[in-house]
Amino acid sequence: MSKNNDKKLKIGIYELTGCAGDGLLILDCEMELVDIFQAADIQSFLMAKSDNIDGELDIALVEGSVSTEREIEELKDIRKRAQVVVAFGLCATHGGIQARFSEEEWQKNLKEVYGDIEMSHTKAVHSKPIDEYIDVDLYLPGCPVSKDQFLNFLVRALGGSPPEVYPNPVCVTCKYNENDCLLLKGIPCLGPLTADGCGAICPNHNVPCYGCWGPAEGANFTSEFYLLQEKGFDMEAIKKRMANYSGTKLQEFFEKFKKESQ
Amino acid sequence: MKIVKLKKDNLFPFLEAIKGDAELWAPVKKDDAKHTFQPVDDFSQIDLDYTRTILPPRKILLPAKFNMYQASKSEFTSDFSHISKKIIFGIHPCDIHAFLTMDKFYSYEIEDPYWLEARKNLVLLGHSCWPDENCMCKSTNTHVVEEGYDLFFTDLEDTYVVWIGSSRGDDLIREKPELFEEDLTDTDIQKFIQRRENRDKAFTTEINFAAMPDLMELKYNDALWEKLGDACLACGSCTNVCPTCNCYNVEDRPVLGKDFSNIQRCWDACTLENYSGVAGGENFREKRADRLKLWYTHKLQSYISKYGKPACVGCGRCVATCPVDINVKTVAQSLDGNEVDSFWDRLSKEVTK
Ligand code: SF4
Ligand code: SF4
Ligand code: SF4
Ligand code: SF4
Repeated sequence: MSKNNDKKLKIGIYELTGCAGDGLLILDCEMELVDIFQAADIQSFLMAKSDNIDGELDIALVEGSVSTEREIEELKDIRKRAQVVVAFGLCATHGGIQARFSEEEWQKNLKEVYGDIEMSHTKAVHSKPIDEYIDVDLYLPGCPVSKDQFLNFLVRALGGSPPEVYPNPVCVTCKYNENDCLLLKGIPCLGPLTADGCGAICPNHNVPCYGCWGPAEGANFTSEFYLLQEKGFDMEAIKKRMANYSGTKLQEFFEKFKKESQ
Repeated sequence: MKIVKLKKDNLFPFLEAIKGDAELWAPVKKDDAKHTFQPVDDFSQIDLDYTRTILPPRKILLPAKFNMYQASKSEFTSDFSHISKKIIFGIHPCDIHAFLTMDKFYSYEIEDPYWLEARKNLVLLGHSCWPDENCMCKSTNTHVVEEGYDLFFTDLEDTYVVWIGSSRGDDLIREKPELFEEDLTDTDIQKFIQRRENRDKAFTTEINFAAMPDLMELKYNDALWEKLGDACLACGSCTNVCPTCNCYNVEDRPVLGKDFSNIQRCWDACTLENYSGVAGGENFREKRADRLKLWYTHKLQSYISKYGKPACVGCGRCVATCPVDINVKTVAQSLDGNEVDSFWDRLSKEVTK
């Protein structure tokens, strides 16, 4: 690395509980990797290098949800060291699939899988998005985040600008791609409820959106819920589908909905 | 105005002769029954048996995303690289009218060089159509065209009656005059008139557009708008498929390892939540009902006072697209005092029961 490293943005990339797909996505930017490592001083990135330093950072990208006590400590330490903390990928922004359960259900699942085994090195906790424990400055959702989103974030950050998030639902890109709308055909597509950024990959292949980028801003869950009910889907099936990727953020809606629909 | 005749067998040879180095766009069948405009080299892909395409042909002139400029610290360079010679074949009267509406809009007070430049490079070859239950162009008086095309092909079974609408259209015919016949027989004329009459009768949806500006004004605070807002999924689809919607957003896209940014223009839609968002996190139209009011004011009211006709050209795309039945047809019928069978109406009853 060049000697004027101290002028470059110091970036750390960290992985909590998740599939590590977001970190992998960075490595998959093969055409840009050299430029990335030249433009920024990547201090810590376990998946990519061995000489990792845990010091002061300009930006920390945190992937994964918080699922153990040790991760809570690690996350708090990252917060202390970093100017800007970015929730990187759906597990960090919303908790991911592992956060779709209520506290009760989670307890039950833990017991079922691990029984009464004593865990020695750390204790499991109910999976949560990282903003349940620390202040988060920026959110980059996606399962995984897209290359376009990550690279655009990075170049803007290098220039001192905040990222341009994808503010719209999946339907927008889906329409640009002129897909025959699945929802109109009675297929339970979550495109209207889901944040765009993936390029509408699923509807492009005639598969309904499962919501893997998490809920879009201002999504109208109530209307789509009734719409799917009218199309013949039962309440539990719709709830399950909607809850898959929205982690803890949708619990509130379902609580309210349960009361309303009783 | 000159009229000639073309045997159907001579259509592809004619298109071949005029194509040259231009890109020829025509309706192509996607999956199921839906059509889209696509660039075609193999003319056998063209499927003229269609009512409406998913996206309107404005996408051919202004794609959903394109670079407007390259900007560095010291200079910016306009980027017109997406514009090239194009021919649209098979465009219907409603969409030709939409182009005329956009021409006015994009040259009113401030000119939009991207539209105007693309338009200069465009040849429009219209084609006759047959309405389905969602076509409202007879009510908007956009079901026939008198201007705005270079050639217009009316399908009379084994031949086309071809109207020449511009001197450029005339030049195109002259490329291969031997393919055309100059004289229309009495039978041809009779067939043409009969077709027109039958088509006029085939429209099943009638909307009282003349009453809409007043009704929009009178019912601006009607409970209808809340009902629509409760059902709207804020997906932006109605807006993206409308041939007379024209809003766009501009994004800075800095390039990694370079000292310039691409300044990208991409379609925006006023039915989306983010559309009315401003710096500081405020939003002027956070409520879906308010956003729908804006869209319908645009389609049914304000254009009429400015340009003398509604912005809606009756293509029926919003009808075929909105998953919750919010569209010009149901909204206009409801404003006109009718009960309409729609998801949004059923939802309002479901929620309040
Ligand atoms: S297929 Fe899904 S994502 Fe595409 S427009 Fe329909 S609802 Fe939206
Ligand atoms: S599930 Fe939805 S958000 Fe995820 S990749 Fe598919 S279309 Fe995109
Ligand atoms: S408002 Fe609807 S019917 Fe009218 S032009 Fe737009 S999409 Fe077509
Ligand atoms: S009116 Fe319909 S198509 Fe338009 S944004 Fe609302 S739900 Fe989408």
